[in-house]
Order: sequence, then C-alpha cells, then structure tokens
Amino acid sequence: MAADFACKTIDPNNPTGPKIDAIFPGVYTLRLYKYSPVDYENLRAAKHVLENPKRIFFGVRVFNQGGWCYTGRPPEWYIKERAVVPFPKERVFAVYLNPNMQVYECRAEYADAVDPLCPVNWPNRYRGLTWKSTS
Amino acid sequence: MEKHFLADMMAGEGKPEFRAEPWYNPCGDCIVYKIADEAVVADRIDELLTVYHSAVDDRPIGFQIKGVKAIIRKLGLEGLAVASHQEAGAVKRISIAALLLAAYEEREPTLARRRAYAFAMECPEKKHTIPADDLQPA
Repeated sequence: MAADFACKTIDPNNPTGPKIDAIFPGVYTLRLYKYSPVDYENLRAAKHVLENPKRIFFGVRVFNQGGWCYTGRPPEWYIKERAVVPFPKERVFAVYLNPNMQVYECRAEYADAVDPLCPVNWPNRYRGLTWKSTS
Repeated sequence: MEKHFLADMMAGEGKPEFRAEPWYNPCGDCIVYKIADEAVVADRIDELLTVYHSAVDDRPIGFQIKGVKAIIRKLGLEGLAVASHQEAGAVKRISIAALLLAAYEEREPTLARRRAYAFAMECPEKKHTIPADDLQPA
C-alpha cells in the first residue's frame, strides 16, 4: 500500500492564515498509478493547482457534508499516454477534497464564460465561493 | 516532463496498465468508470452523475456516480444486488445499472439527464457490477 502524500495549500477555513496539508491518499494514488496512468500523470496538475489555487469553493456535494473544490490552471497536462500539451484556455482544472482535506477527484472542467477560473454553472453546483486569488 | 512527485512511492508497484472497469473511491464516496486512458473534461449532469468527455476528441469515455453511500442507505444493498451473485444470503456484487437507476429517480426527468444516464448504462464494457465489500467509505 502506497503512503499518503501531503502538499501545502491555502486553508479554506482561514485563507490568510498558515498553509495546511492537502493529502493525496495512498489508496487513491495507487489506484491511479496501477490502472489509470493518464490520471496518475495528471496528479502533477492537481498538485500545481493546490499549490497555486485561483478559486476555492465550498459545499461541493449534496449527499456528503463539507468538502472543497480548488481550481486553477496548470501550464500543461497529459491528454493521453506520452502526450503532454498546454492546458487549454477554455478549461479550468478542478481538484476536489473531502472534509478531511483528502484529494478524491482531479479533472478538467468546462470554464465559466464570465470567470474562466470557475467551473461552468458553479453558482448552481456549489454552495459558494470561499476564496478568490487577487493575483 | 520532470520526475513525478510520487515516483519513489510507486517504485515496486509494478507496471501500470489501464483497466476499464468501475471502481469505488472511498475518499470521495463515488464510483468511477473510464473506458479509455485519456484525460477527461467533466460534464456535471446532476448531483449524482458526472459524465467524462475525452480531452482528446470530446467523446464520452466514462462517468462518476456520487453519493453512493446515500443511495445505498436509501435502497439497501439488497435493492442494488445482482441476484446471481448473492451467496449465502450476503450481497456480493451490486449492479452499476441499479445504482444509475436509483440516481436517475432522484430528480425530474429531462432530455439531457435521460441522454447522460443512457450513455452511462450503455458504457461498452462487460463489467457492470462492483464487489459490495468495496463500498466502504473512508
């Protein structure tokens, strides 16, 4: 069993305070490594987004309390085996974390037309935006 | 591309090989099913179903069912069981189609939802069940 991996990210409950750990659970990363190689490679993009978030949303699931969605734009990503391309302008990369700050989903989303650093239709999908980058 | 940040942790885990089969992600309480080893762009259909489109050519290549624990709580494992796989009274495997039907019934039917759920049910793979023992949230 692979061990968990932690990287530092903005605390969604205290965005101006010290950074906290976001966890890539071993059970998740090992599954991707063994059986979903492209998704495994794109954990790099997820780590980039957690370390350089542009938006953080709360209330991301209806049937599961809590949880967060961090979005941002990695410079590049894998679209298939051995094919690395620049991350497209009309997409945004989203990393979903459960209330224990464990990563459970990393993927591109169609970007919002007004704010392309948000996933499309975000006001109807999440309970709200908790933090927004000013840079 | 520089060395993967998890490369040392994965040393000794064998050669990666894409597997097109549904699996339960306990950290997200969701079932993920991808039929191609390509990056995805998510198309959220409703609170329970997200369809994955290929980042290569935008064709649908999989889906995610969310809130699995809530669906099971509502219907019970027996309501999702594949009868032929029940052994000694215990549910051994549950049906992905039954989960999808339960999720579909949660909201008003619309053309977009019907199309998305139909795609998910027709995902061209033979493996349409998942071991009940796998469904343990983190």
